[in-house]
Amino acid sequence: MSNDAVVALQGITKRYAGHIAVRELTLNVPRGAVYGLLGPNGAGKTTTLRMIMSIILPDEGRIVLFGESGSGQDLSQRIGYLPEERGLYRKMKVLDLLVFLAEIKGVDRRVARRSGRYWLERLGLADWTEKKIDDLSKGMQQKVQFIATVLHRPELVILDEPFAGLDPVNTQVIKDIVVELSKSGTTILFSTHIMQQAEKLCDAVCIIARGQKVLDGGLAEVKRTHGGRHVVIALEPGGSVDRVLRDRTLVLQANDYGNYAEVELVDGVDPQRLLHGLIEAGARLTRFEVAEPSLEKIFIDKVGAEAATARAVEETNA
Amino acid sequence: MRKIWAVIRREFLERVRSKWFIIGTVLGPVLMFGIIAIPILVGERGGNRTVAVLDATTTGFGERLTGMLNGVGTVIAQRVITDAPSLEDAAASLARRVELEAIDGFIIVTDAVVDDGRAEYRGRNVTSLTDMQTLQVILRNAVFSERLRREGVDPSLVARARIPVNLTTKKIRDGKVTEESGEASFFLAYAMWFLLYIAILLYGIQVMGSVVEEKTTRVIEVLTSSLRPFQLLAGKILGVGAVGLLQLGIWVGFGKLMLDQRVRVASLLGQGEEAAALANLSLPEVSFMTIAVFLAYFLLGYFLYAAMFAAVAAMVNSEAEARQAQTPVVMLLVIPTVLMIGILNNPDGSMAVALSLIPFTSPIGMPVRWAATPIPLTELAGSLAILVATVVAITWIAGRIYRVGILMYGKKPGIRELIRWVRG
Repeated sequence: MSNDAVVALQGITKRYAGHIAVRELTLNVPRGAVYGLLGPNGAGKTTTLRMIMSIILPDEGRIVLFGESGSGQDLSQRIGYLPEERGLYRKMKVLDLLVFLAEIKGVDRRVARRSGRYWLERLGLADWTEKKIDDLSKGMQQKVQFIATVLHRPELVILDEPFAGLDPVNTQVIKDIVVELSKSGTTILFSTHIMQQAEKLCDAVCIIARGQKVLDGGLAEVKRTHGGRHVVIALEPGGSVDRVLRDRTLVLQANDYGNYAEVELVDGVDPQRLLHGLIEAGARLTRFEVAEPSLEKIFIDKVGAEAATARAVEETNA
Repeated sequence: MRKIWAVIRREFLERVRSKWFIIGTVLGPVLMFGIIAIPILVGERGGNRTVAVLDATTTGFGERLTGMLNGVGTVIAQRVITDAPSLEDAAASLARRVELEAIDGFIIVTDAVVDDGRAEYRGRNVTSLTDMQTLQVILRNAVFSERLRREGVDPSLVARARIPVNLTTKKIRDGKVTEESGEASFFLAYAMWFLLYIAILLYGIQVMGSVVEEKTTRVIEVLTSSLRPFQLLAGKILGVGAVGLLQLGIWVGFGKLMLDQRVRVASLLGQGEEAAALANLSLPEVSFMTIAVFLAYFLLGYFLYAAMFAAVAAMVNSEAEARQAQTPVVMLLVIPTVLMIGILNNPDGSMAVALSLIPFTSPIGMPVRWAATPIPLTELAGSLAILVATVVAITWIAGRIYRVGILMYGKKPGIRELIRWVRG
C-alpha cells in the first residue's frame, strides 16, 4: 500500500461563464509523496485544489480521495488545507481559534487545546496564545494559519502557495515542517509558481497551463525526459576540440570559452557520444557534466511561449 | 451534528463575551427603566399648573370656572377680572407674566363662551396633551352647567347629572373575563411589537455581519473546506439566535422585575403619590400561551429574516455594500411597524388579519394582534403553518445563494445570476 494514490483526479473539468478554468485534468498523487502542482498564475491550480476539497464541484470528472468514496468535507478530518486566500477570525484569541478550526475537523476540544499549545510553542508563538489575531503580525498570522492546517494530524496536507508572502526565516520554518511531515508519512500536495522551491521539495510534479496538464511524473523522470541535452566541459589548456564541437550531427550549438564550453546536444544524442569524441580528439578533460535542466527551464520551455499565446488568444476572444 | 455544534458554540461564546453584548444587555434595561422613570420624574413638574382665568364675563361664569379648575388638584387657577374694552391690554400683561414664567398660561373667557362655546387659551405648554385635555374637559363641564343653569335647571340636579361615567374595559379571552384592561392589552401589544421588531432586526443583522466578516477576512475558505455551507449557515443562525434568546430573556426578566417593583422604584425616585397610582395600574396578564406565541413568532421570524440577511451578505463584498443591499429586507420588517396603529385600532379588520397571515409580516403582526384581541386557534395555526412553510422555502433558497455567494468576489450578482445560483 505504499504506491496507491491519495488523490486521484480523473478527467476533471470546471467551466466558468466565459472560460474553462480546468480542462480534463487527470493526475495521481502517490501516498507519502511531496507533490508539486506547478503553473503560471491563472493556470487553474487554486481551482483544482478547491475541487479536491469540494469547496467547488467539478462539472465533469471524478475525484477520489484515499481511494474511498466521500467528498472533501466528509474526509476533511484526514486532510489539512491551507487556502491561497489566508483568512482568520480577527477578533478571536489565537488558541480559541485553533481549537475551533480543529473542532470543525472533528477533533475533540481537549485534544485540540493540547496540540494547539504544542504547535504554538514550536513555532515560537507561545506568548501569543491568549492574544487576539488582530494583535499579531502578518507573519505570525500566517504561522497560525499553518498550524490550523496541520493541527489535526492529517494524512494529506494541501498547501496553496504556502510560501507566498513569507519572509526568508519563516519560509525556512515552514519548509522544515513540510519536510518533517513528509518524513513521518504525510502526503503533501502543494501549488506554487516558484520553481526553485518545487525543485528542492518535490518528489513528483504536475505542470499545468491554461487549465490543462502539460506534463507530470516523478521529478527525476521529468528531468530525464525533458532535458539531458546540456553538457558542460572544461579542458586542460592546449588541446583543441573545435572539430568535435562543430560536428552538427552531435552538437546543436556550443558556447566555447576556449578551456570551458557549454554544449547543447542535438535532440536524441547520447551525451556519452560527445565524451567519446572529445577523448578521441585528444582532449584532457577536467570536467564533463551532463547538466540537469532546472525545473524552471523545463517550465519555461513548456509553458512560457504557450501561456503567452494563450493569453493573447483569450484577450482577442473577450 | 458535532460540527454544527462547534459553530453554534463559537458564535454564541464570541458574541456573549464581546463588549457589545454587555453594553447592549445593560443598555436595554436602562432604556426600559428610562421609559418608566422619566414620565414619573417629568410628571412632578406637571403636578401643578398655574393658570390665570382672564374673566371678561358679566355672569360670574369666570368665578365658577376658576373654582372648578382649582378643584382638580393639579391646577392652580387665579381669576383676573377685566372688561371687554380693556381685554387685550390685560391679555398682553398676562402674556408678559407667562414670559416671566410666573404663570403657565391663561384662559380668556367672555360672555360669548356660553353662547357659542368659544374660548381661548394662551400659554407655553400648549403642546402638552394632558394639560390641554384637562383644561378642555373642565371648560366643557363649566359651559355645560352654565347653559343648564341659564335654562333654569336646579344646580343640584346639574351636579348629579355630572357624576362621571367610568367605563372599565375587561378583556374576554377563551370565554372568560380577565382582569386585563384595554390599556393593558395595548401595553402588551406595544411591548410585543417593540421587542420583536428590535430583536429580529438586531439579530438578523448580526447574522449578516457574521457572514460578511467571514467573507471579507476570507476565513470562509478554511471553513468551507471542513463544513458544508448548510452546516455553517445553520450553526451561525442557531448560535446568534441563542444569543438573542439570552439577551431577550435578560431584558424581559428585568422588565418584569421593574414592573413588579414599580411601587418601590417610584418611591425611591421620591414619588410617593405616583407610586400609589402605579400600584393600581392594571397590568396585562401574560399567560403561558402568550409567551409561547411570542417565542414561536420570534424564533420563526428570526429564522426567516436571518436566512434572508445571510443570503444578502453572501452576495456582497463588504460591510458597506451589505448595508445598502439589506434595505429591501429591512423594509419588509418595517411594514407591520408602519401599520401598527391600524392593527391596534381594528385588530379584527381585514388589514390586521392579512398582516398576521402574510409570512413576512406575521412574525410581528400576529403577536401584536394576539395581544390585542382573542384569536381563533385555527387562524393562529394557519398563520404558523404558512410561516413555517415560508421559513423552510426561504432557508432553502437562501442556503443555495449562500453556498455560491460566499466564494464569489467581485461584481454583485443580478437577478438572472441569482436564479442560476438557486437552480445550480
